[in-house]
Amino acid sequence: MEQKFQRGDMIRCQISTVKVIDWLAEGGQGDVYVVEQNGKKKALKWYKPSGMGKEPQKFYENLKKNCFHGSPDKKVFLWPEDVTEYQDGRFGYIMPLRPEGYYEIGDFLLTKVRFSSLQTVVDAALNIVNAYRLLHNEGYSYQDLNDGNFFINPQNGAVLICDNDNVAPDGENTGIAGKPGYIAPEIVLRKQMPDSYTDRFSMSIIIFMLFCLTRPMEGKRTFEEPRTISLMKRIYGSDPHFIMEDPYHPEYGADENVQKNAFSFWRALPDYMRALFMEALGQNAVQNPDARPPELKWVKNLVRFRSEIIKCKCGANLLVRDGQSTTCSKCGAVIRIPYKLKFDTDHYYIPGIPGTRIYRCQMGICNADEALQPVGRILANPSNPSIWGVQNLSKEQWDIETVGTNKKKVQPKGIISLKNNIRIKTKTETIIIEEA
Amino acid sequence: MENNSIGIGGMEPVARPLLPMFFILDTSGSMTGQPISILNHAMEETINAVRDFAGRNSDTLLKIGVLEFNSQCRWMQPQGLEELDDFIYTRLKAGGMTHMGEALEELDSKLSRKGFLSSVTGYCMPIIIFMTDGYPNDEWEKALKHIETENKWFQHSIKIGFAIGDTADEDIMSKIVGNPEAVIQTSDLELFRRMLKIVAVKSAMIGSQSHPIGEPVSGEKIVEDIMEETGKKVREKSDNGDLGFIMPDGSDDDFWSASDTWIIDENWNDL
Repeated sequence: MEQKFQRGDMIRCQISTVKVIDWLAEGGQGDVYVVEQNGKKKALKWYKPSGMGKEPQKFYENLKKNCFHGSPDKKVFLWPEDVTEYQDGRFGYIMPLRPEGYYEIGDFLLTKVRFSSLQTVVDAALNIVNAYRLLHNEGYSYQDLNDGNFFINPQNGAVLICDNDNVAPDGENTGIAGKPGYIAPEIVLRKQMPDSYTDRFSMSIIIFMLFCLTRPMEGKRTFEEPRTISLMKRIYGSDPHFIMEDPYHPEYGADENVQKNAFSFWRALPDYMRALFMEALGQNAVQNPDARPPELKWVKNLVRFRSEIIKCKCGANLLVRDGQSTTCSKCGAVIRIPYKLKFDTDHYYIPGIPGTRIYRCQMGICNADEALQPVGRILANPSNPSIWGVQNLSKEQWDIETVGTNKKKVQPKGIISLKNNIRIKTKTETIIIEEA
Repeated sequence: MENNSIGIGGMEPVARPLLPMFFILDTSGSMTGQPISILNHAMEETINAVRDFAGRNSDTLLKIGVLEFNSQCRWMQPQGLEELDDFIYTRLKAGGMTHMGEALEELDSKLSRKGFLSSVTGYCMPIIIFMTDGYPNDEWEKALKHIETENKWFQHSIKIGFAIGDTADEDIMSKIVGNPEAVIQTSDLELFRRMLKIVAVKSAMIGSQSHPIGEPVSGEKIVEDIMEETGKKVREKSDNGDLGFIMPDGSDDDFWSASDTWIIDENWNDL
């Protein structure tokens, strides 16, 4: 609209001057330009005065610090790479450009873009959780987590996180409270400034929305009453309620006509995923930030959830319980699952079919850092697709026990055929393959 | 049979609350010639800019209504507010008196759930943008008093006024929007054209952006931000085409700590 820079303008930065190539977009906090720096195209976010918080100088210094410390993960964070000079009370920062194929969450919420499968939604959720785990483990908090921070690839669930300008050491604050609808109750009530615990609340809202395109704290109340400041303070501050939490108080619940997605999603969810959302958004989480599930718990449950999703030939995403065969409720087709995998420590089963992944977090106690390391996968023999095997994707050999006390070892990248009563022993866990 | 499918392909778009945006535009005789032409251009540009934003906004369902007033008043869409994709802007013509009071009465009648505020997905507080180049010829004070005291939607709306030209009565506009700091006064029609678009988009975006801690959400805040962004000086009375704007007095309708004592059951004119 009111563009500050024209094509060809040169802007001095801390590390290297950039040349303006084009104006890209306007956001709430500022404008984004395509710029060229050392022959590479990058993005420049140039702040509006209203987008720099109440202490612009502090905000600016924080940006420089983030730039200096570097990205927690360059594949995920569109992290500040350079900061412009402070010009007439204004400034901006340089970051990588968003690649093709990634869309804003708003596009998913409006169904302009849809995920290719339910597993892809889980992958996106896993990637989001994992990114915040990385950030929090490095001692940062994001502080302004909302639907505008993400770009997601609907084909594979890959996630890019932008707007990392508010990221600050946990406990420090840049002056931004966040976007209404994503802010934790203790911030709304001004009892607390944004931190990693408030990030977790916002993250839970985002994940629920990704799955069922529904705002988890906005039920009937928000459709009947005008959204005045006082109503929104009640919804997100003094009297927040997760819309799927309390069937005995339907006035806090979802609206059956307007929020059908939430009901159909909730009905189909396995118990442990419902429990996780309750733990993340229910009354205990609202009242006690410490009670919100840590990222590792999200990862473990999402990984299990991912394992239980299969796609029927009719295209329906089906949830398999305990690795058992099932019947598609959409088309009536019988889904025969010949084998299931049992994890000895957590005592649950997942279907042993091609595409199933085994992650480190399913293999007994693990650090959050290693939770998503691949350990194994089920695949079909390319020359005879009716024969299935489990491949060792870890860096250590597996000890295999089969019926008749035969013992063998499977080296990294090696494969063993799926058969009844095979026990795969790793350093931390035993996986038992059983007929389903 | 147990339902074991999650139909992500069949999911409906997120439920978006209605965000009503009203333009109340003076098309009296004094607007004849260049002013009405510029107003029409400004509105066309504004509609396009708001449409771009509304189409990708998952937070609110933005609908607009345009009410022109001269010796009488007329809605551009008499059936009700319209989504931007459906909205067709019809060029306005100037002529007649400035019956602002009649416009306020008409706005009052439509600012209700029985009027234009129809939604099953909730309601954001309306945004109302007024524009005049003169002063009212009718009993505007009585109409204003009524809508101010009886209409909760009006009370809680974000209101911004444009007082255009040397004869526009800035004080009256300040009374209508309830705050002199939410009025933009200018005699520069080209500047008005640009500012109308910015005000409309900024107002539409207000619920979709992150807020600094303790930031007010109001017409005056929007105007203040725009003044800063466009580099216009606050509090400089216009005598040469620059903006005239009065410095905020420090009143702080804090978004998070506002003592908003209004009770929802209280005196809605449409209940």
